[in-house]
This record gives sequence, structure tokens and C-alpha cells, in this order.
Amino acid sequence: MTTYKAPLREYRFILQELFDIGELAKLPGYADATPDVFEQVLEEAAKLCEEVLFPLNRSGDEEGCAFENGVVRTPKGFKEAYNLFREGGWTALSCDPDYGGQGLPHTLQFFVEEMVSSSNMSFGMYPGLSRGAYSAIWRHASPAQKRKFLPHLVDGSWSGTMCLTEPQCGTDLGQIRTRAEPAGADGVYKITGTKIFISAGEHDLTGNIVHLVLARIVGAPAGIRGISLLIVPKFLVKEDGTVGPRNGVRCGSIEHKMGIKGSATCVINFEDAEGYLVGEAHKGMRAMFTMMNGARLGVGLQGLALGETAYQTARQYAQERLQGRALKGDKFPDKPADPIIVHPDVRRMLLTMKAYTEGARALAGWVSLALDRAERHPDAETREEAEDFVGLMTPIIKAMLTDNAFAATNMGVQVFGGHGYIREWGMEQLVRDCRITMLYEGANGIQALDLVGRKMPMHNGRLLRRFFHPVDAWLRQRQEKPELQEFVAPVMKAFGRLQQVTALLAQKGMADPDEAGAAASEYLRAFGLVAMAYLWARIAEIALAKAGGDERLFYKGKLATARFYMARVLPETNALFANIAAGAEPLMELEAEAF
Amino acid sequence: MAITKVAVIGSGVMGGGIAAHVANAGLPVVLLDIVPPGAKNRNIVAEEAIERLLKTDPAPLMHRDFARRITPCNLEDHLALLAECDWIVEAVLERLDVKHATYAKIDAARKPGSIVSSNTSTIPLRDLVGAMPERFQRDFLITHFFNPPRYMRLLEIVKGPNTRADAVQAIDEFCDLRLGKGVIHARDTPGFIANRIGGMWIQSALQAAFDLGLSIEEADAIMGRPFGMPRTGIFGLLDLVGIDLTPQVAASMQRTLPKDDPYIRLYKERPLIARMIAEGYTGRKGKGGFYRMTRTETGRVREAIDLATGQYRPVAEPTLASIAERKPDVLLRHGDRGGQYARRVLAQTLAYAAALVPEIADDIVAVDEAMRWGYTWKYGPFELIDEIGADAVITLLEGEKIAVPPLLRQAAGKSFYRTSAGRLEYLAVDGAYVRVKRRPGVLLLADIKRKSKPLARNGSASLWDVGDRVLCLEFHSKMNAIDPDIVFMLGKGLDTVKKSNGAFKAMVVYNEAENFSVGANVGLALFAANVALWPFIEEGEAAGQNAYKDVKYAPFPVLSAPSGMALGGGCEILLHSAAVQAHAESYIGLVETGVGLVPGWGGCKELLTRQVANKKRPGGPMPPLMQAFEAIALAKVSRSAAEAGDMLMLRESDGITMNRDRLLADAKAKALALAKDYQPPKPAPLNLPGPTGAAALKLGVTELVHQGKATAYDAVVAERLAEVLSGGDTDMTLETSEDQLLALERRAFQSLIREPKTLARIEHMLETGKPLRN
Repeated sequence: MTTYKAPLREYRFILQELFDIGELAKLPGYADATPDVFEQVLEEAAKLCEEVLFPLNRSGDEEGCAFENGVVRTPKGFKEAYNLFREGGWTALSCDPDYGGQGLPHTLQFFVEEMVSSSNMSFGMYPGLSRGAYSAIWRHASPAQKRKFLPHLVDGSWSGTMCLTEPQCGTDLGQIRTRAEPAGADGVYKITGTKIFISAGEHDLTGNIVHLVLARIVGAPAGIRGISLLIVPKFLVKEDGTVGPRNGVRCGSIEHKMGIKGSATCVINFEDAEGYLVGEAHKGMRAMFTMMNGARLGVGLQGLALGETAYQTARQYAQERLQGRALKGDKFPDKPADPIIVHPDVRRMLLTMKAYTEGARALAGWVSLALDRAERHPDAETREEAEDFVGLMTPIIKAMLTDNAFAATNMGVQVFGGHGYIREWGMEQLVRDCRITMLYEGANGIQALDLVGRKMPMHNGRLLRRFFHPVDAWLRQRQEKPELQEFVAPVMKAFGRLQQVTALLAQKGMADPDEAGAAASEYLRAFGLVAMAYLWARIAEIALAKAGGDERLFYKGKLATARFYMARVLPETNALFANIAAGAEPLMELEAEAF
Repeated sequence: MAITKVAVIGSGVMGGGIAAHVANAGLPVVLLDIVPPGAKNRNIVAEEAIERLLKTDPAPLMHRDFARRITPCNLEDHLALLAECDWIVEAVLERLDVKHATYAKIDAARKPGSIVSSNTSTIPLRDLVGAMPERFQRDFLITHFFNPPRYMRLLEIVKGPNTRADAVQAIDEFCDLRLGKGVIHARDTPGFIANRIGGMWIQSALQAAFDLGLSIEEADAIMGRPFGMPRTGIFGLLDLVGIDLTPQVAASMQRTLPKDDPYIRLYKERPLIARMIAEGYTGRKGKGGFYRMTRTETGRVREAIDLATGQYRPVAEPTLASIAERKPDVLLRHGDRGGQYARRVLAQTLAYAAALVPEIADDIVAVDEAMRWGYTWKYGPFELIDEIGADAVITLLEGEKIAVPPLLRQAAGKSFYRTSAGRLEYLAVDGAYVRVKRRPGVLLLADIKRKSKPLARNGSASLWDVGDRVLCLEFHSKMNAIDPDIVFMLGKGLDTVKKSNGAFKAMVVYNEAENFSVGANVGLALFAANVALWPFIEEGEAAGQNAYKDVKYAPFPVLSAPSGMALGGGCEILLHSAAVQAHAESYIGLVETGVGLVPGWGGCKELLTRQVANKKRPGGPMPPLMQAFEAIALAKVSRSAAEAGDMLMLRESDGITMNRDRLLADAKAKALALAKDYQPPKPAPLNLPGPTGAAALKLGVTELVHQGKATAYDAVVAERLAEVLSGGDTDMTLETSEDQLLALERRAFQSLIREPKTLARIEHMLETGKPLRN
């Protein structure tokens, strides 16, 4: 069995030692979001996750969802768990108080989501999708639409989806065929078409499902500039706000997947379904990106979450599993064998998992605080800075955190040896569940293109400034501190090369887009590794100051992991930079027919 | 015969503009108009016209002082002055009776052999002078200027059957060399060349928009940029030139064209347009036109008229899919009404043009030049056909059920222009390819590029052998922004001349883009700053300083020949050149403060040095500093080469060329003249006031901030500039070397480029083309 205890001490470290969430309570509307409230909420969430959601993870995976006559049944216990989740107010956590939300910061939401996914990623999909729908409506819909749909999404009595993908188009949404025909009243359309891969598209957890559908209004321009966003509820909503007759929305089937089996992935057929235009006609992509950006950060968190569970379980196993002896002689002569944690290679895996996971959490904390600032800060320039930063880091969070998580869950299996391959232990489920995170909400290759092709050139590199300037300043301030050099020096070197490569890529990419495309994935990873290295250096600085205190082991763990990161993780950038320097030619030389 | 004095009769928009432009060429002009009934000041009409010239934007005069070259007169008291004039231009009302009366007066007063021309655009020459004595006819021709005469390059010359060849020759040469016009010889046919085809284009685009139900925004988005035509499109263009002109032009065409002319068949009166004119909606000069600006509660809103209802509504971004097509040929095949519109208008316009050669012009080259110079099309009609493909255009005409003119038929499977053996050739009426001839003394880099290979080339610049032992450095980066590649090629060019063993004697910095250079590539600097790549920016600045210094001290002359904008780093290269030969339309200035920087490639140093050396300046340490400070801090840009002289951006020894096509030849000649016994300048250290001078300059800035004329950040930038110009830590007893000044420039530049507000300014400039006042 896997093990999971919510990493509350880690949260305190990120939120109060590495960063200062004290700043959040100073933002308008966040007066209640004091560090104390954070602690209480995280503790409550931890209980729910450990006691209710985590126990359903294995069984949910074994049972999966069932589909019969257009109806989807979630695994046993999900409905009861959802009711507890909803009644606990967890769907309302960071939602707008005007619609019944609790108005707490995204930062808090982030770490609650991490715990939920660590304990049961499939379950987390249902409220996760609802949050995406909530944000799109909250940001782009009319006041009447908000009044109609938001209170139900906030209290969790209804759920939401994002209906983008169609059989003929995934990444290339310009090819969408789902049609919206004007149906008399202003803003009301009849929707017809088929959407696939719709997570939480149909289930038995809520009384209604609010689909956010991308469709093409009849006569719209071809391509991406002719896409509109519409709200299409499963059940029509009556004037008084109660649920009315069934709309023309039907689940055609559910997919049989590699992982997240407790999450219903549906084919949804729309047939003359009534839908309501959100925002302007043909401008749906803008609203879609609101959902997408939130969702991408959410997927990065799922990766982080699975890495955490894998690490906790593997750590415990490595400490308890007695097998063979340490290479330099017995460590525990009184036992029949030494625990496998004495072995360098096992340590290599555990430390990689720990470095990835804790580094990822630091990165997530950095970005989530910016997200709160971007939304709430009274100063427009500060908001713009924060928004830039979130935009820049979103593809990195999405892609690198999930790539790392897949490596981490895979190492988790490896630490278990043959037992890792056995379902009962739960380690292989983590690998299977994790695999989707590298694919959905824009495959990781698309994230890399987003970084190199959009975020990098945007405003002549202004988004990059939000990362490069603070890191440059931090490093320069510590150039002369001898005790920090083992951390600062390697980061400076890698950071310097990242600067060079960034400028080179911007120039080469402008002349030849293939050059940008060829370097994109490696560039994103190198960027992410350098960003994480910077955070590990900051962590090390804090840990150095506190290593002699009460929590000696905790801080020693941080320091050793920071050293491990500099010595054994960051050097990966050398290979990445070499690959980038090789350019597009080695990839593009061979003609398609010759493969 | 030499033209040394000119008279212009009629001081309306065209007459005034022509007079101003003759003044720009340095000649005295007599401007005559009527005496209004009962006027006390009998020159009032011409005087007011000159006042208008000084207020008009864009300015008809290249320098305010040139207005003094124009003498305001009247047609009753001053006709005797005509006897002093070699050329008399008539630009009175387009009414035959008025013209005839004017000619009688002119003929009575002018000296024998003086040349008379009319600026008519609608009256045939035979009607103008048919009844005049042969003596007058021999000296008479039409010189058709385009509005505004200073800026529109086209001049159509139409001679009559009796016009003296040497009179035509004299006017041709004067207009080409002195006025800088692109002279085209047209025949005495209605609308001559440009207005005949341009009129058809406008009518076709207007009528088709009504018939096909396009909004004016859609029509303008299609019949504009995609085909290299003015961005305004035709509705925007009509607003600019005056909507009331349309029926006037149509009326004259109807009088003079045969009934079966496609223009006549196409023309239809539109009640909406008649109503707009009647109500004063004649365009920008009236209450508004097809577009107008309206004040609403939320601010100023641009509105467009709905052709169907005649009501104004807010301008809407056109969403037609065809508009997104950037390639003309793809747009022309598009299925929506935008594609349909493009097909109809282009088919009608291009067929019309092809059917009119040789009726209205000797060859297609004249037609293409007329449309490029007179209507600012990027491609003339035949060049446009080549862009689309002659065969595709034939198919297009067939699809639109328009007869394919024989000339176009002849181009089937071919093109109207080709390069053969390194020479540009055009398809003549007889089906043979004929070499495109340049006028004597015209030297185009474009022609040199056709027949030779560059000596060196990278992504942003090339080196060319332009003959007579002169090397040419050509920029060709985007907007000719100066980047590391250009700086590298500059060094390579200097090296090439130095090591050529006399094969090259001089280097000319010249290109044929719209602008000489808009300045350093700040996009690159911004990107580097955004990723905190400070060493790259520092090295880039130092490399530019060194390269420009090498230009200044090269053992042979480096001559720069700008046309259009020469800003920032582009201006700094002029400041370091041994000499400049500038096109009259050169807009020169150090504009770095607009993006929150100071000139960093020696611009502060050079301008300051010139101001200090200026013999005409007042004495004392401060005046030269103040002058340089003002020019740089206010990012002043000259609106002509003549104005650049005032700012010392050009020296008295520098030359000005009026005709764009003659700039390279003039530059070469000047460079070769300098190359004889050339001595590079000697370094001249300056005595500068140091902190006390800086303090004085800063005081002025503080005052401007108090008055709200400068922002707090303007003051920060100006203070850095003041520190450079005052020489840093020095005083008047000490000498400040060039290298010390360059180091001060670097210090100021490097501190400013680290400022978020400077980065915001650069970003804003790159994204909007406008300065940000933050």
C-alpha cells in the first residue's frame, strides 16, 4: 500500500520561511488570509485527504467508472466523499464571496489541490474541472450568466467541464466543427457536434453539469478566429434557478484509459442543445485561455502531488525493506540485512524524487503568490509584473513538473523492485495516473512551444524580465558571500548560460521557426532546472542559518538536497545546452518518407 | 536656357504648394493672385496663402525662412514682374474662361522666350491655348503637379503640337534636378496618366463596395495594403483629398472621354455621396467624410459611414477571412465578398491600364512610375500584374467577363519586366523586351545590384562596388535598424577600402529603403536587458563607439547619403562622416531620450563638438551645451535637410540633393572630390564646465517638471544627459578627451538601460511606434 501524510511542515516552510505569505493578508479582499488561517485550513484539508480521499484511491483505480445507457457511475465511495468535500466548503475555497465563495487566496487553493491529488487524483478531477469552468464564467460571462451558474458551481451542487477536443482536432482548435446556430433570442444558440476526452463530462456526483463548449457560430471566419465559447448545461435552468428539463447533451461512451480510472473521460454528443454565448462571438479563444492557464498550473500541481506520494511511499519502503548489506560493510549488524536505503543508487533515486518534489513545491509557491498578486494587488504595475511572471512560468510548471513527476513515480516503482510492478503496492498506479499529466491541457511539447514561440518574444521579452531580473539581482547580492558559494556559483554559471541561450534562441527563432521548435523542449527544461536551482539556493541559505536549531534533521535534509541538486541534477543543463546548440539540422535533415 | 526666377499665378492649395517648392529649390518666386473687390491690401490673397504655407502640416516649405523667397503680388499691379521670370506657372481655377483671360495677361507681360505652363488636371492642352498666338503655343506646356507638390514625386509634362522642344527640355531638367520630381511625359489625353488610371481605380472601388455590400472598413482593408496601395484604402483616401473632388473629376471625364470608355460606363452617381457633399461632409477638410471622429461620453470614437443606410457607426475591425490573406494571389482567389471585391476592382483597374498603353503613354514604365509617384502605389499596374502573375490576371479578367487587352495577352506566359544579363527590361507594345533606360546622371543601387554580386553580405548589410573606386555600404535590416551585423559590416567596409591598395578611394553609406536608418536596434537591446544580459549590451555599445570612431578617423573619406529618417544611431553615423550628401527629404535627429536613453555611439560627443566649434554661437561655456542639450533632450528631428543645417546635424560643406534618384551619383562625386588629398580630422579635446554646467542644465529641467512640461522620468534621463554634456568631473581649465566623453556616454546609457521606465519606453516604442511619456 502507498503511504500518504500531508506534508504540512513543508507547506509551512514554503509559505512562511522561503516566501512570506504575510503579504497576502495585505491585499484587498484577503484580510482573512493570515498565516494562522492558512495553517488551520491546510490541517483540515489534510484530514479530509488522508482519511476520506486517500483510502478510495486504490479501490477507485480497481473499479473504475461504469457506463450504461448514457449514465456514468463513479467508483464506490466517490459520491459520499464528494458530498463530504462539498459540505466542507472545499469547492468554494478560493471563489468569489459574491457567489458564495470563501474568497481565500489561490496560494491556499494550490496546496489544497496538491493534497487532494496526492491522495486521489481521479477524485480531484471532478472539482478541478468545475474550478476551470468557474474561472471562465467568473471572468468572461455576463452578470446574469454569473448569477445563474456561479453559485451552484461554488457550492459544488453542480459541476463543470471544458469541452474543447473533437475527434479531428486536439491541439489545433482552429479545426473545430461543433456548430452553434442562432436560436432566436440574443446570445442563445443551438449547439450540435461531438466532443471527446471530456473529463467529468458525465457522472453521478452533482445535480447538473455546466459544459463550457468551444464551437463555431454559423458563418464565422475559418480557423482560430472564428471560435466562440458557450455555456451548455446538461439540464436547462428554469427562471427560478432550479433545474429544468434535460438539454440535448448526451454521453456517448467513456474511454478506457491507462490511468486515472476513477475519472470519467467522456464522449459528449450535443444535439440542438441550448447554449449561451460567453463574451463576444468569435472571441472564444481568449476565454478558453483563462480556463487553460488555470488548468495548466493545476496539472503541474498534479505532477507535484503524485511525486510526493511516490516519494513518501518509496522512502518508507527503503527504510524498512531489509535486503543485502551496505557496500562498505554492515550498517545494521543486529538485523538480518541492512535496509536498502544504505545503497547509493537507492539514495540517488530518493534524493532525485525529494529534490524534484520539494523544488517543484517551491516553484509552485513562487508562482501562486504571483497569481494572487496579479489578481489583487492595488498597483497596476505590480499586477502587470505578476501576470507576466505567471504567464512565463505556466508552461514550465505544467511541463517540467509533470516530466519530473513521471520520472519520480517511475523511480518509486524502481525502489520497490519487483513489488513496484505489482498492483497491490500501488506504485504502478502512480506511474499510470501520472502519465496523463504530460499529455492533457496541451502536451508538454506544446508547452515548450508556448514558452519559446509566445511567451519568450512577447513584448520583446518583457515576460522574461520578471524571472531574469530578480534572479540576477539575488545572485549578484550573494556573489561575495563565501559560505553560499557552493550554491550560488553553480546557479550563476547555469543562469549565465541560460541568458546566452535565451538571446541566441530569440534571434535564431525569428529567422527560422524550426530552430525555435527544435530547441523548445530542452530550453523549457533547462529554464525550469535553473529556476529550481535558484530556489534550492534560496532554500539552502535559509537552512544554513537554521541548521543548528531544534529541527536539525529537517534543515539538514534541505541542505543536503540542495547540494545534491547542484551536484547531480543541475548538470543536466550541460547536456541540454549542448542539444540546443546543435540546432534544428539533426532533426530536420531526414525527409518524412525516409523514416 | 536657365531658369532663375519663377512666377506662380493662383495661390490656392496647388499654386501655393508649387511656389513653396520652387522656393525650396532656392529660387525667388513671384506669387500672384487677384485683388479681391474693395480690398485695402491688394496683395491680401497671396499674402494669406504664404501664411497658410507656414501653418500647413506637413509643411510645404522645407524651412520657414524660405517663405521670404516668395513675393506676394497681385494680378493688377505686378504683371510687369512677369518680365523677370523664366518660367510662369498658371494654377488658377479650372475654368477655361479664367485660364484664357490669364494667358492673355501673361502673354502681354512676359519676356520673349519665357516658358508658360498650366497645372491643369482636367482641361486638354488644345482647349487651353488653341486660340492663343503661335508664339505663346511654342512656349506653352502643361506641368501637372500632384498634391502636395513638395511630397508627391510625380510631375506629368504634356506638350502641345507646337511646343518648342527646348522649352520642354528646360522644364524637364529643372523639375528633375532642381525640384526633384519624377518627370513623366504624358499625352494630351483626359486625366493624363495617373488620374486616368487612378480615377478608374477609385470609381471601381467605390462602385463595387456599394454593389457588393462591403463595409468601407472591409473595402479599405482589401483595396489597400494587400496590393501595396495606400493603407487608407480609397474611402480613407477620398476623405483626405476631399469627397467633393469625385463628381468634379467625373464631370470632366464625362466631358472629355468617349461614351464607351469603361470609366464612363462604370460611373454612377450615388445619392449618399451627393448628400454628404451637400451637407458638408466632404472629408477631413469638412465635417467628416466616410470616416469621422466623434466625441462621446467615453472619449473620442472613430466612426464609419454605413453605405447602405448613410448612418455613422463606430468603426469595426473587418473580420472577413479574405483580409487575413497576406498574399495578393491568394486573396484574389478567396470565396468571400472580400475576394469578390478584390477581383472586380483589380480586374477593372488593371484591364483599363493595360488597354491604355500606348494611347496615354509611350510605355508601361511611364505608367508604373506615374502610379507609384502620383498615387503612392508600391507597385505600378504592370508591376502588380507581375506580382500576381500575368496568366492569373488573364484568368481573372476572363472570370470577370472583361475583354483581355492585347498588351496583356502579349504577356501571357511571361512577365512585364525581367532581368536579362543584369539589366532590367520591360515588355514593349510590339512584344519585344526593351531595356529600362535611366535618365543621364541617375545611378541606382538597385541597378548595380542587378548586375553584380556584393563584395560582402550578412543579414543586415552589404558592401557593393558602385564604380569609380567607391565602395558602398548598404543597410538592409528591418527598418534599417543598426544591429551588430551592421556594425560588423561597417568595420569590414572600412577594412576593405584600407586594404584595397587604392582600388577603393572612399566609402559611401547609402541605401534605397524608405528610411536611411531608424536608429539602433533597440528591440535587441531590450531583449538583452530583459534577460539581464548586461555584458552583451555593454559590448554592443562599445563596439558601436569604436566603429563610429573608425569612420571619423579613417584615412579616406566616408560619406553618408541619407534619405528619409536618419535617427539615433543612424544620425550618429552622419555625425561621424567626413561629409554628408543628404536627400532634401531627410529627417535627422538624436531621438534616444524618447526611449529613455542618451545617444551612446558618440552622438552626444559629436554634436557637442560641433556646437562648441560653431563660429556663429554666442560666447561663454554654456551656449553650446544648451544647444546640444536641447536638441537631444527634446529628441528634435529636422523636417528636412535644410532644417538639419540649423541643428548642425549637417554642416555648410555638406550637400543636398533634391532628386532621390540622383543621390548616389551626387554622393559618389562628392566622396571622390574629398578623396583627393584627404586628411582625416585631428582629435579636438573640449573644455567643458563639469558639475557647475550640469547643475545649470538640471535647473532648467526641474523648471520644466514643475510646469508639467516634462515628467519626473524625463528629468532623470535629462540629468544623465547633462552629466555627459558637461564633461563629468571636470572644469573649464581642463581638457576632456573624446574617449572620456565616450566613457561618460557609456556610463549614462548603461545606467538608464537598467531602469524599468526606460525598458517600458522602449517596449512601447517598438509596439506602438509612439513614445511613452512615463
